Amino acid sequence: MLATGCYTWSWNKLTRFLLSLTGCHPRMEETVQATQDWERGRIGAHLLREMFDRDVGQLVKLQKELSFDFLSDGQLTMAWQDIFTPFTSFFKGVKKGPLIRWFNTNTFFYAPVVQSEIVAPGDAVWRSIETSLISDSNPLKVVIPDPLTFAELSEDEYYGSKERLMFAYAGAIREELNHLGKHGVSYVQYSAPSLVARFREGRLSREDFAQVSLAVRESLKKTGLESGYLPFFGDAAPYFPELFEIPVDDVGVDLTETDARKLPKSKKGLIAGVANGRSGYVEPVDVLSRRLREIPSLEKYHRVLITPSCDLRYVPRTVADEKMRRLAETRSVLEEEDGSK
Amino acid sequence: MRQSKPFPTQEIGSLPKFGWRTKPFMKIRLDDNDVKSAISWGRRLGVDEKPLNELKGLLSKREGYSNEEKKRIVEFSLLYAIRMQETAGSGISVERGLDLIWSGEQARTEMYQTPVSSIDGFEFIGRVRSFDNKYWRIASIVRPPRFSGNYHMEEFLLSKKHAKRKLKVPVTDAITIMAWSDNSHYVKVWEGRRSSSHGAGLSPSSISFGARRDFVLDLAKVIRRVIRELVVAGAQEIQMDIPAATQYQTVEDSKLVTEAFNETTKGIDAKFSVHSCYPPRYGYGLLFPYILDMKNCIRFSFEYANRDSFNRGVTDDSRPGFQDLKLFREYGFNKELGIGVIHVHTDRLPALAVVRDRVLYAAKVTDISPKNLYVNPDCGLRTRSPEVAYSMLGLVADGAEMARRALK
Repeated sequence: MLATGCYTWSWNKLTRFLLSLTGCHPRMEETVQATQDWERGRIGAHLLREMFDRDVGQLVKLQKELSFDFLSDGQLTMAWQDIFTPFTSFFKGVKKGPLIRWFNTNTFFYAPVVQSEIVAPGDAVWRSIETSLISDSNPLKVVIPDPLTFAELSEDEYYGSKERLMFAYAGAIREELNHLGKHGVSYVQYSAPSLVARFREGRLSREDFAQVSLAVRESLKKTGLESGYLPFFGDAAPYFPELFEIPVDDVGVDLTETDARKLPKSKKGLIAGVANGRSGYVEPVDVLSRRLREIPSLEKYHRVLITPSCDLRYVPRTVADEKMRRLAETRSVLEEEDGSK
Repeated sequence: MRQSKPFPTQEIGSLPKFGWRTKPFMKIRLDDNDVKSAISWGRRLGVDEKPLNELKGLLSKREGYSNEEKKRIVEFSLLYAIRMQETAGSGISVERGLDLIWSGEQARTEMYQTPVSSIDGFEFIGRVRSFDNKYWRIASIVRPPRFSGNYHMEEFLLSKKHAKRKLKVPVTDAITIMAWSDNSHYVKVWEGRRSSSHGAGLSPSSISFGARRDFVLDLAKVIRRVIRELVVAGAQEIQMDIPAATQYQTVEDSKLVTEAFNETTKGIDAKFSVHSCYPPRYGYGLLFPYILDMKNCIRFSFEYANRDSFNRGVTDDSRPGFQDLKLFREYGFNKELGIGVIHVHTDRLPALAVVRDRVLYAAKVTDISPKNLYVNPDCGLRTRSPEVAYSMLGLVADGAEMARRALK
């Protein structure tokens, strides 16, 4: 039994703590330089590709060293210049639109412009991931935008309603996920900032949230993939407890924006976005573990994925890698306290 | 009186740097093309033969430049940028070029790195990708910022020496420096408060906002000193560059943009304008009505063309990117506006008639007198080639002239 702040907290034995990244990883300094050299014609595409491969290799090596349970390629390729690139590049009916600020960051994306019916080729995501990482030992985690985020950030010239667009995307995504599942990918995470980063509108109505949930269900139907849903850049508390009814295996919370003390009890898996993916301040283990300990009934969750609050692309690579190490140390501390190690 | 004509023109941000400007700083040897480019552009821009010969001699050295020589190269680069703005356009107007100009960022690394390198309290920690293969070198604030020298004074004095048109000095504001930096120091302070018994009730959002506000207000004091000195040295117009104005999108953050502006400019007798760009999907409406409380601001210059069509026309349907302009009428703003009529993140040039129609549409949907409606590119042109950038400036000059003719 440990006392932390005003909360009394105890672990159920053998709580499952897993480690995972949640999306796009920052490029190594050498890769940054290579992309600039390539743009200026100083190196060719072949050398650039080699640099990206090396970059992915370094990230995979670190994940393995730290015993991450899911592997990520960090979207370290120009196929993911932004989270929509595979879809604006390969989906019929969708093209790349204007440059728009990505939520409250100094990063930008090209808005998908939906001009006609969305038709997925089925391998748009497959062509954009590092398929050589698929193995039996560590599941490869693929991260894509959730139906709400796609629908809200797109310019719709065809479907006429956000709901129709959301379900059109969900249908197209199902094709993509089916293809991934057949080829050995076992986990998909939906990145869902649009659910909580609603700086002026307030939370979605219960009816609209139910539609989002339904679209997620549609997209995953019969794909056989394990799944997660991670809303970030905002406070998820207004959606408690129904957020945990969304039909995925693991539900995520950005704990740098959400008061951990407000999390509801659930038997689902929890993606605990505990390390601030937007700050160069590398939180010490005691800060990270305190955030986790503040979650009431943590032991009730089926499993806990200890992750950054969002993609780590908002900090330089050295900082991101250091944050990964702190996540691993945090798990060790928690497991020791839990007695599960 | 240039600015009394309808649709005056201005440059709004950076201009590209020539290879002969950047290579000596990167310790890359200049080649023949660099020298040829310098000479041919110099002639094209009407730079006198005497300085041109000096530049030719300087560049012939190719490598191993001293600090003094590098300073001269920067000055030439600044001169070229000024001449680019003063000569852009096909000459359909009475006078070629833009009305309100500046050094085009030639004496700066860029709008973030230069101030952050010169304000005490920052440490660079690496590069972060903004979009595509564009990055910024991010610095962490590790202690409260302190003035340690005027990072724009030399640039301003050189600009004053060379400019034949009215000058302004763009200055990166506190909100933007905060938003593009890593807020380590203030976050740690606020996290510490949460750990203490009386701060245990602080929510994550109140911690992050508190850290942002403290950082911004400390920075505002430093920037105010920079501006005050520039004004004493003769600067008449300061453009506060706030690309991050719409980054944090809560009501409190929008109010903070205005608070930071007022803190920075208070007590300074100069003309102030504001430039911002690339809002999130909510558009510039996020900033209203709070920005109208910016006490000293005479002009707001925003980017619009990025979101616009390439079709001709002055109807709402043909100008989708300019709909936010209606906010100014809605809120009764009638001072000055700058309108971005050129999308700067593509080499695709709009037709002259499209630029004209963008200007005319802006006049139609605002209550701004045409003589107070400035025409400019959306944002800085540093990512374009010199050729494309010059063409874009030319479209600004010529498009404004076409709009003037249409008014008659």
